[in-house]
Order: sequence, then C-alpha cells, then structure tokens
Amino acid sequence: MPHYISVILDDERYEKIKGTPLEEKITYLFGGQLKSLIVEVPEEKSEKILKAFDKARIDSRGYIEDVPVAFRRAVFEEIAKAKSLDVIDKVLERLDDLVEAGKKEDEYIPPPEIE
Amino acid sequence: MPLIKTPPPHGGKLVDRVVKKREIAEKMIAGCPTFELKPTTLPDGTPIRHVYREIMSVCYGFFSPVEGSMVQNELERVLNERRLLSEWIFPYPILFDVSEEDYKALNVKEGDRLLLMLKGQPFATIDIEEIYKIDPVDVATRTFGTPEKNPEVVREPFNDKHPGYVIYKMHNPVIIAGKYTIVNEPKFKEPFDRFWFPPAKCREVIKNEKKWRTVIAHQTRNVPHVGHEMLMKCAAYTGDIEPCNGILVNAIIGAKRRGDYPDEAILEGHEAVNKYGYIKPERHMVTFTFWDMRYGNPIESLLHGVIRQNMGCTHHMFGRDHAAVGEYYDIYATQILWSEGIPSFGFEAPPNEVDYGLKIIPQNMAEFWYCPVCQEIAYSESCGHTDAKQKFSGSFLRGMVAEGVFPPRVVMRPEVYKQIVKWWKVYNYPFVNRRYLEMKNKELEIDLPAMEVPKA
Repeated sequence: MPHYISVILDDERYEKIKGTPLEEKITYLFGGQLKSLIVEVPEEKSEKILKAFDKARIDSRGYIEDVPVAFRRAVFEEIAKAKSLDVIDKVLERLDDLVEAGKKEDEYIPPPEIE
Repeated sequence: MPLIKTPPPHGGKLVDRVVKKREIAEKMIAGCPTFELKPTTLPDGTPIRHVYREIMSVCYGFFSPVEGSMVQNELERVLNERRLLSEWIFPYPILFDVSEEDYKALNVKEGDRLLLMLKGQPFATIDIEEIYKIDPVDVATRTFGTPEKNPEVVREPFNDKHPGYVIYKMHNPVIIAGKYTIVNEPKFKEPFDRFWFPPAKCREVIKNEKKWRTVIAHQTRNVPHVGHEMLMKCAAYTGDIEPCNGILVNAIIGAKRRGDYPDEAILEGHEAVNKYGYIKPERHMVTFTFWDMRYGNPIESLLHGVIRQNMGCTHHMFGRDHAAVGEYYDIYATQILWSEGIPSFGFEAPPNEVDYGLKIIPQNMAEFWYCPVCQEIAYSESCGHTDAKQKFSGSFLRGMVAEGVFPPRVVMRPEVYKQIVKWWKVYNYPFVNRRYLEMKNKELEIDLPAMEVPKA
C-alpha cells in the first residue's frame, strides 16, 4: 500500500509552480484555505524514509509525517525542478544529506517572523 | 430527571496536605534528614519525570484520596485491580523511588520523617511507613498491561518507545512509602501562576465566580486546533436540561515526549481560545495539573476522571485515542472502559458504575473533520461523506508549524498559532526537545522561598 507526503504550498511556493501542469494537481483543503501537492510514495521507499528519520511515522491518513523540515523542503525543490510529482527517487538520492540536516533541526528551527 | 450537581471529591474528601504556617512547618522539619529530589532520567541523561510534580498533585488534592507514596500492598492492589487499600479506584502507582546508593546514604527507617529538598530549599516531608523494593520492569509492564493479559484493549507489547512505560521502567528500585506534606509553599512562575487552580480553589471558582452548575472537563496535552475546539463545543452540549454551563480545560504539565508542544504554549494557546472569543470566557476556563504524562490511554483516562471530579467537574469528554501514543492500545480503549468496562483491568462495569468508583459522567466522542461536501467541520458519526473527509491531523499540523506556514483560520486560530510562535522565539524551537526538557528540569515551573532547617 503506498503512503503519501503532503507538500503545503504557501504563496511563495505557489508562485514557483503557477502556470505549470502541476497547478492542475493542487489539492485544495479546508474549504480552499490550504493548497497542497500530494506525492505518492511506494511502500518500500516509505520504509527507507521511516528508517532514516527516527521520529517519522505514518499517520492515521496514511501520510508520512514528523519528518524534518529539510526533507519537506527537498521534496518541494525536486517538484519545482522537475515540474512533476514523480520525484521521490531524486529526494532519496539526497537522503544522507537530509539526515544530517535533520539532526541539526533537533536543536534549532528558526521561528517565522510574524507580528 | 433530577438536575445534575457537583460530585463529591473522589474518596469523599479533598486531600489537603500543605502546611501554610511557617512556625508549624519549621517544627515539623527540625532535625530531619534531608534528600534533594532528583529527576528520573533516560540512560542518556534526558529527564522524563520529576517526582516533585507528583508530590504537588497529591498534596493539593488533585489525586485525592491518595496521600503519598504507596505501600507495597497498595501498589499490588493498584496493579491488580486499580484500587487503593481503601477500596477507591485509582489507576497508577504513585511511588517515591530512590537508588540503592541513596538509600544506603540516607540511613532512614520506617517511622522516620524525611525532608525532601527542591532547588536547595525545604519543600516537603515524607513520613516513612514502609521501605521496600520493586522490579521496575515488572511495575512498568503491569501498569500498562499486555496483549495476553488484557486482550480487550492492549494491541502491542509495551516497549522503550512508550514514554509512560519508560518512566516506570526507569524508576529506582527502592520505594519509600508514606504520606507527603508540603512544608514550603512554592511560588509559580509565569504563565503557570495564572492557571493554577488546585481542586479546593477550582470548586470555589466554579461555584461562586463562574456559577456553573454543570462543567465538562477537557483533557489536553496539545495546543488546540479547530478540531479540539469543536470537540469542546460539541461535547459541552451534553448536560441535563441544558448544555453544560462550563468547559474546564485541564492541561497536563510536566515532561512530555519530544515533538509535543511546550507547556507554556499549550496553556496560552487554550487561553487564546477564550480570550479571542472562540468560546467565550464566561463558559471556558483553563487550568493545569502537574503530572509527567504516562500516555496510558484507558489507564490515563481513569486518572483524568479522578483529577477532574476532584476539581468539581460533572462530566468528562473522551475522544478517540485518548491520551495515547503509538498503537499499543485499541484507539477506542478509553471509550470501551467508560462504556462497558475492561474486566482484565478490574472493571466489570464502567468506572462510574462500580462501588467506590467515580461520579463524573463520561461523554465519549468520536472525531471531527472538515467535510468539503458539507463545507463545514463535521462530526464523524453524522457526516456521510467519509471518503471526502479532511482530518485535523496533529502531525500534519506540526509539519506545517515547523515549516513556518501560517495555518489557515479553519485549521488553527491565528491567535492560538501566535502563542506557539511566542514560545518558539523563547526556546528557539516550536516543540519539546531534549534542551527544553533539560531546561525545564533545571528551572521547574516553581520557585521556593528560602527556609532554614532548624536543628532538633
């Protein structure tokens, strides 16, 4: 059974895929207030992700959650580069670096600048 | 149907073991041997429990009728039947544990009074009734159950990934049993001071200030998203001839698993729900209880029933996967307990239908999701568009928060999110991590006034 990764699109990310075929693949959640792209992950690849990040888990919806921010960002970067959702192999190629980046996130994640 | 009234405290009387007069306290502690309280830690040194929180909850009456660290017969009774020696039901072992080395160095015996120090100051005493040894792994296993012995609700054997199991497993082997008494009342730090309503005070506020006749309790270890808000609002429609007059949020404050939110954000996040009118403050109040959460789903729900009945609540809402982590228990384990009982845990009937049981009334709730067809937040047992549901997943929200995405109002209220960011800026991290646990363990939620220990 495949699992999924939800990549949230804020305004900045949306601008990067606007006008591409990806725009048609946007899932609108919560009455259209949240946009996301859903990446399907075959089970053997989701196992690699779960193994790489000790806090990662599959939630009750079948989504891979509690992965580092660096991992999520990498998924979007590959999507934006390939203009496709078929990017999980590319992300897995970067897994070692992402594991290292994830370790740093145990100590510090920069807070957003909001009023 | 008669109108529902505030239930009596569990056990009939609220425990109050706090000495307020300094001269009496000084006489009590004169010449006592002393012991500086220590946290329970993982092998790598990460703090996972501080017994001072249990002493606070016992002495201020949250755990009434429990008055201290349990004697061996009482521990066995709790593990076998979830009952105290006085017959009243109680879910968890409450133990004052020390290492073999500390026990030897202390050189205390039954009948002695031991002065417990915290942050270098006198804090509480324990009047020693019994000293005995435990096998911490056995206590941990029997506390939470096993698939073989508790097949009604336990789905997987507990292991080191379960925070509550690990807390008991890491207990020291020597138990000093006896009644606790706080001899030096602590001063609360901000923001904890605003939310400290021990049972006697809470009952007084409910009766005289809020003037609530019926009150439903909401258990939390989370910053509230709109799914939690809907749970509170809808569960509160229960009552008798009218919905419950009040909603009492009671946050569990103490060491939590990594990835949960900091305690301060939890309290101020819930406060924002009433401060900004999502549930008006006339109907909503935020409080807390000290307890290093055990994540024991049905077992934890019993403790929640005890605490909130003691605080004066008439009802308690229980959601799916109540106080749970992982898949150790059936996701409806708590609801099974409160609707039919769990015989293998000592409950042939629900805890509010057995002798010496609880008087608080359970309100079992399923879940809330956003339904794009109904275009509203829907209750799972009402909405027929299950395939279209959009769930309020806590981990999905944590991912959104960590990425710095401002959640939409329909998922999390902006004023609630701002409390997360406020404390994120303080701790440089939005969630509980090792550094937060170490800092909390060092600084704690309280300070203690300076107090001399008089010579005997």
